[in-house]
Amino acid sequence: MPDRNADLVFTNGRIYTLDRKRPWASAVAVKGGRIIVVGEGADVAALMGPATRVVDLKGAMMMPGIVDVHAHLMMGGQAELFELRFPPTASFETLIARVGEAAAKAPEGSWIIGGQWGSDLLPKLNRLEALAALDRVSHGRLVMLRDDTYHNRWVNSEALGLAGLSASSPDPKKGSIGRDPATGALTGMMIESAAGIVERTIAQSGHYTEEMDRAAMARSIATLNSYGVTAFLDAAAMQPILAALKGLDDRGELTAWSVSAMPAVEPSFMFGIAGEELIALREQYRGVHAKPDFVKIFLDGVPGARTAAFHEPYTKDPVLGCCFRGSTIVTVPELIRWIGKCEKLGLGVKIHCAGDAAVSQALDAIDVARSFNGPTKLKHHIAHASYIAPDDIARFAELGVVADLSPFLWYPTSFLEGHKQTMGEARALRFWPNKDLLAAGALLAGGSDWPVMPNPDPWDGIEGLVTRRNPSGEFPGASLWPEQAIDIATALEIFTINSARAVGLADTVGSIEIGKSADLIVLDRNVLETPAKDLADTKVLTTWFEGRVVYERA
Amino acid sequence: MSAPDPSSDTRIPVTILTGFLGSGKTTVLNRLLRQPSLAGAAVIVNEFGAVGLDHLLIEASEEQFTLLDNGCVCCTVRGDLVATLKELDRKSSVGETPPLSQVIIETTGLADPAPILHTLMAEAELTARFRIGGVVTTVDAVNGAATLHRHSEAAKQVAVADRLLITKTDLVSNEVLGGLQHRLAHLAPTVEQTVARNGEVELDLLKSLPADAAADVTRIAARLEAADHHDHECGADCHHGHDHHRDTHHGIRSFSFIIDKPVEWAAFARWLDYVAALKGEDLLRFKGIVRTTEEPEQPLVLHGVQHVFHPPARLDRWPSHDRRTRLVFIVRDIERETIARTLVKFAAIDAASIAGPALAAA
Repeated sequence: MPDRNADLVFTNGRIYTLDRKRPWASAVAVKGGRIIVVGEGADVAALMGPATRVVDLKGAMMMPGIVDVHAHLMMGGQAELFELRFPPTASFETLIARVGEAAAKAPEGSWIIGGQWGSDLLPKLNRLEALAALDRVSHGRLVMLRDDTYHNRWVNSEALGLAGLSASSPDPKKGSIGRDPATGALTGMMIESAAGIVERTIAQSGHYTEEMDRAAMARSIATLNSYGVTAFLDAAAMQPILAALKGLDDRGELTAWSVSAMPAVEPSFMFGIAGEELIALREQYRGVHAKPDFVKIFLDGVPGARTAAFHEPYTKDPVLGCCFRGSTIVTVPELIRWIGKCEKLGLGVKIHCAGDAAVSQALDAIDVARSFNGPTKLKHHIAHASYIAPDDIARFAELGVVADLSPFLWYPTSFLEGHKQTMGEARALRFWPNKDLLAAGALLAGGSDWPVMPNPDPWDGIEGLVTRRNPSGEFPGASLWPEQAIDIATALEIFTINSARAVGLADTVGSIEIGKSADLIVLDRNVLETPAKDLADTKVLTTWFEGRVVYERA
Repeated sequence: MSAPDPSSDTRIPVTILTGFLGSGKTTVLNRLLRQPSLAGAAVIVNEFGAVGLDHLLIEASEEQFTLLDNGCVCCTVRGDLVATLKELDRKSSVGETPPLSQVIIETTGLADPAPILHTLMAEAELTARFRIGGVVTTVDAVNGAATLHRHSEAAKQVAVADRLLITKTDLVSNEVLGGLQHRLAHLAPTVEQTVARNGEVELDLLKSLPADAAADVTRIAARLEAADHHDHECGADCHHGHDHHRDTHHGIRSFSFIIDKPVEWAAFARWLDYVAALKGEDLLRFKGIVRTTEEPEQPLVLHGVQHVFHPPARLDRWPSHDRRTRLVFIVRDIERETIARTLVKFAAIDAASIAGPALAAA
């Protein structure tokens, strides 16, 4: 007779299920990684056999694992595991010294990749003297150092040589190669798209092995697990990311559900094949927990750099003049074509829209797709649903578009200060109309955009959604558009069941219900009774993924 | 951008002769080439698989003949077709071959004619010297019905035709022939059917093809009107059954619209962009004559094959007293209602001014 007993039983918990039909329970039973009972102690008692692991929660709060609707996983893990780290405040001398220490230990012919130098150092580094200093400490190793904007690189002469660059090399489109004004000799500075030349050289040199990619991805996922995240959408999944996720999944080492958005065009910060070529490979990267089900389209830039597309002009600028509104980088017909193509392939589209005009265009394009194609089960995302024209609020729900709330900027931050400079204070403050979207019936899903935000801790975001004040204590007393604050119960939905719906995993994750994956987190407090200002202090004690412990707080 | 007057259009017509495997294309071509009126015609044959087998059966002089042997037209022919047509044009211009009066492209049985039409419509190098003569599709009376049922490629060849040629009719009874004709009329209600007996083909088969785009739209709109009206009259008791036909026609159907009020061209062009982007693959053929608000007396003539549209041509005057916009669609799995709704929403067309021929006739 088959063993009917549970593998795992939780008792005496304050279990918040995120299932509106049964919000609270005290016991949960798990078998084969799936939840088989949600109820009280008596309901699970009969399922306890000799091999059943019983966890007494002793009154602790348990809830479903967090679903992060927008993160970039590989880069953080790579930096942590394999790169030379120094702060953007590091001086030129420190930087050279750190490279020297690393070079002394590095094997011959290897790369030293590091970051991130402050972009204020750029003029100093972009000189032959600086390159000579870098070359002196490199001991013939290949060196590439990224800046704090992730747009520019500084490399040594060995790296220039491997990339086949010399004084006669032309500048690439949308980028430039640093040169000495007198002699034209290269300085090693690679600006904007020129950075891609070196990044591609590194990729082709075989520096990043598949093992390294998997290790970096696993490290990033372990970081997410420590904050209670058990499912995520990678918002710009290039081929090495897809391969790493599939590789981990095949080895049984993937400790979160992963959904991937494949870029329609090569992003400015990642390199390799994109668009149809990448999308065509998606089935070979599909695994039980690895789902390449989205395409990412960047429609505009960011408000702080005046590259986001707005209906109203930016503040006056010496170069751009009085009336610059930014522009979208994909036309509406192109966007429609992409949406049509993706819908045919059964893929959702995540559209980066930082300005309100980009949001309007994305909604317009989705409106056209709905008008021609009729209703769909696919979810398209507008990321980041932050500056939205009032008339567009209701369209999210009407068109079934997910409002991707990421990164955690719904409280005063240095980003907001930048926006005030470029947009004027009044407009800058009309940021994240979360409550209006909610009232209009939109599906709001929470995400970190890590490592754009240096810390993917969802509890920081959740506190911010509730208070609209900066949880770190920066900007004391200041709040951002406090009328748009939402309650804690809604914030929890946004980071669990709503995100699960948004990424197409609502049948599997996002709530504690029979049949769903046993992705469960135990918290150090009942967050529904915690003062709002303390929510960000919440600590995850244990994270369970499919009934296995994948994180335990030391 | 006036459309060339058909009588003065000196461009060389290119006729596409298509039809499923074994439907008698080669026999038809042989007969046609014997006709004196086809002196100066060049033939481009595209073979699939064994190269040049069919071509040995064609009794034609060498110089009339160009063989594309790179396989299927649907995927690889574009560049070669451009090069071949240019070379034919060059040879006849410099006197290496007799003056070129006409080009016939015989496709493989499996070919989708749409990419060939795209090449002829979109290649600037070709459009100055060549025009689309039309698509002639052969359907064999013996196997035609079964082939249409089994192969969506065959149904598409029929749907995009300008002229249907039913072959091998002497091998079937009148009833079988009638059934096939009925079926073809449902699949391609705007298209004239010609019956070939003993391989004999009307002398003017190629000449009767639509050179005059405006007259063509008017003609096919009228045919569609008649066809729709017929269905309309057929009523609820009629059990020859649309569903049945839908199943066997791979979702291919046709419909038309008449729009009373002038159309705002910018909005209409935007709608065309959208329909091409989202439904291009399933828009097998689209023809229209449009009364624009800007120049209501000089109609625009539109012609699209899937996502590719001819540059709209403006006529000097309306071809008849009927000055209403007429649009004809041959589609696969697109609802008439979708077209109507999106015309209203994105092409700034007043819902009340849209009618289908059936409604207009009722």
